[in-house]
Amino acid sequence: MLLVALAASCSSDDDASSDLTGTGTVIIEFDNSMAGDDLLLSASSYTNSQNETLTVTRLNYIVSNFRLTDEDGNIFTYPKDDSYFITSEETGSTEVVLTDIPAGKYTSLTFGIGVDQEKYLQGAEGQGDFLSKAEENNMMWSWQAGYKFLNFEGTFTSPTVTEATNFQIHMGSHGSSLDNYKETTLALETEALVSDDLSPIIHLVVDASDILDGTNKISLSEQAVIMVSEEKSPKIAANVSTMFSVDHVHNGDGSAH
Amino acid sequence: MKTYTLIAFLLITGTQSVKPNEIPTKPCPQTTSATLMMYDDFCDTCGCSGNGGSMGFGTGLNNNFIGLRYISQNYRSRDGIFANSPWIDEHFNTLQLWTQIPLGERFIVNAVLPYQFHSREFADNTEQNIDGMGDATILGFYQILKQTPDSIISIKPQHTLQLGGGVKIPTGKFDEANLEGSVNPSFQLGTGSWDYLLAANYGITHRNWGLSVMANYTIKSKNEKEYRFGNQFNYALNTYKTYYFGTNFALTPQLGVGGEYFDKNEEYGLEVADTGGSAFFGKLGAELNYNQYALGVSTMLPIAQDLNNGKVEVKSRFSVYFNINI
Repeated sequence: MLLVALAASCSSDDDASSDLTGTGTVIIEFDNSMAGDDLLLSASSYTNSQNETLTVTRLNYIVSNFRLTDEDGNIFTYPKDDSYFITSEETGSTEVVLTDIPAGKYTSLTFGIGVDQEKYLQGAEGQGDFLSKAEENNMMWSWQAGYKFLNFEGTFTSPTVTEATNFQIHMGSHGSSLDNYKETTLALETEALVSDDLSPIIHLVVDASDILDGTNKISLSEQAVIMVSEEKSPKIAANVSTMFSVDHVHNGDGSAH
Repeated sequence: MKTYTLIAFLLITGTQSVKPNEIPTKPCPQTTSATLMMYDDFCDTCGCSGNGGSMGFGTGLNNNFIGLRYISQNYRSRDGIFANSPWIDEHFNTLQLWTQIPLGERFIVNAVLPYQFHSREFADNTEQNIDGMGDATILGFYQILKQTPDSIISIKPQHTLQLGGGVKIPTGKFDEANLEGSVNPSFQLGTGSWDYLLAANYGITHRNWGLSVMANYTIKSKNEKEYRFGNQFNYALNTYKTYYFGTNFALTPQLGVGGEYFDKNEEYGLEVADTGGSAFFGKLGAELNYNQYALGVSTMLPIAQDLNNGKVEVKSRFSVYFNINI
């Protein structure tokens, strides 16, 4: 009884930061994983539901066209020319930094995987320095063939392929004939607070097991090198669009994670 | 772990092999366990979401003392968010100056001044150390039921009941950067916040047996970094028996259980994922008294726990103290 009295007498002060003004930075961390385990390139292996065991040596992908929706449903669209990024587990560049975000309480994040047709159709000169970045990161076939949205490589074994065999999954839009650009919208369970003093970090978990073992099942034993494939690459693109989820949002001045 | 098993073994065998003497007819006035109804450090390792603690025992005797106590707490926590993220070992060490002094007939004041030195080792074998003052705590108790001074050998059971409240002062440093790297946000010297405590102690003694129950609730406030550790509820139940050896010595083995419950932490008024939780401990200890001196050891081992969504585990706690009754 005493305890109840004690516990009940506690007060809660929930004055969430009220007036957010100015602009801040939003950092989006893409934390790559394999079915709940941290993705360790060349080091760990993972067996999927198709009984194929993969060791991943490369996971690069393009993310683009970032938009943030606030608590009132207003959408802030990041300037399109600056809104193309390559994340690469190899180089360790897995953060996207969006600057000059207007103050607000953001509740969801939308972005694309790959490069949309509108951007691609601006031609090579319309790409700015993103073209050379893509080349440096093995994310281009050729200008004509276009960008690789996803570059996923490694080795695998399976009941039918007992020798470790290379696999290469390069997914993209293939010029303008096949559009594999997809977008995803993620609800932020904790609001991301942005202001002159507040620069949140949105920590995403990327489950790369979805690439082959998502909604669509793609068998490496059947085909280990998948690039331009009108049948399989749209399935992979659909799988890739589901591999992102929000682990947590860290609000703060951006210095600590 | 071996150490603790050994200590437990020694205590138990010690208890059994010692033939309890007759209670001396003229016990030296301050022989029995002191420390005991001490509210104990709710939150000594900082503010502590998964920490702090309900260490300590209560005998119901309200001797007044000043002493030094060392507390060692071992945790492990996940450095990362994945199933294969490495566990890192965290060691929280606290050295406390603690005291209980009377204020008139019915009031007693408890105060704790901690010095902390914590360390943790990351998967890449680097080590992080933090040390410095912890958060000081002052508590005042009103004694609703109080033992009569000469009642140690009373025939009837004696009851004590104390209700109190206090404040934890942010004398320890809260470093936002320590939130990085590990999911254990409690790797801190202090909460950085003014926290308020409510506490209740009840004790009953009969001849040389005793039982005590304590409960306390810590209301934590937001610190300057807009971080707020979750409110904390601690409870403990202890039993003990005092064996007298001659007129100068007494030994009091103690056995009990205790638990802690933590609300989730908040940052900028928003809940922080993977915080909060609860833990339930078994406790074992003993206090040796010689005239006005008391030497005590106690250990707490978890029986059940779910801290920080399973990402923090408490492994053990151990304390040793030396008090002088005043």
